[in-house]
Amino acid sequence: MNSDFLSLIKESEALNSDVFSLIRLLLLSSIASVGADGVTYRELKAALRVSDGALFTNLKSLEKTGYVISEEITLEGKKLQSYKITQEGLIAWERIRNWLKKFVECGGKNNESG
Amino acid sequence: MSLDKVIACLKGIGLKPNVDDFQNRLVIQKAIYLLKLKGIDPGFAYNLYVRGPYSPDLTKEVYGHKSTVEKLETSSRLDNSESKKVEEFKDIFSELKPSILEVAATYSYFAFEQKQDPITALQNVKRMKTFYSEAQIAVGVSKAKEFLFRPSEKQLADMKEEARAWQDASLKSMRANSHEKKRGLDM
Repeated sequence: MNSDFLSLIKESEALNSDVFSLIRLLLLSSIASVGADGVTYRELKAALRVSDGALFTNLKSLEKTGYVISEEITLEGKKLQSYKITQEGLIAWERIRNWLKKFVECGGKNNESG
Repeated sequence: MSLDKVIACLKGIGLKPNVDDFQNRLVIQKAIYLLKLKGIDPGFAYNLYVRGPYSPDLTKEVYGHKSTVEKLETSSRLDNSESKKVEEFKDIFSELKPSILEVAATYSYFAFEQKQDPITALQNVKRMKTFYSEAQIAVGVSKAKEFLFRPSEKQLADMKEEARAWQDASLKSMRANSHEKKRGLDM
């Protein structure tokens, strides 16, 4: 077995597996991309095409882990819920991103040799 | 990257920025993007994110120099051509309404940067901005076109041809009306 793969498995132990669902990865990535500006609930719903139930539950879960914080903002007189990544969330996202990159590269190498 | 140039643009469009305000930050992002497409480029890279075209580096700079941005302190001056573009922006987007700027910037990304045909670009805007009304989307798209549309030679010729057809029709109708009136007087 490839030693890269073994180190990947080792590294995966440091990742928060609660984040490993497609919707949570998409949420974390989308919220991280706009940094300190934050992103509104309605923008996330429209861009990611997810139901209110799924969006609400997963955002709550990310808030619970401390990766995301929410605040109320006003836009053109409307009160909206906005979500921002925390420093902890940013570190977790970077770690996951780097690991996923290595994971994909490792899979590619295995396919080439096979 | 030049925050100085960004501040000169903000001064030009008449924005008094409050960096802590979400709405103001959105206006800064979208206004600078639209001006970039018009040819005033302070060098901040934009990509399509969940919010539409967005520059994380611009946000970082704006936050990092909050006081300078809010006091509109800049050593950069817009040249004549840049000033004209900023004036044009001011005329078209006079109210600096975030919703209109957001739609205009997103449409411009698809239509003018990605070179999508107008129908596909509009569909993509509607897909990303489901929370805006048809009217808000129509106004934003129309303002984006007004600000950025540069017709090709063929489009110009087609537009002239179309205008000529309308002019001919209206002339004919005017002539027919005056003929009718004259006949009415003769009778």
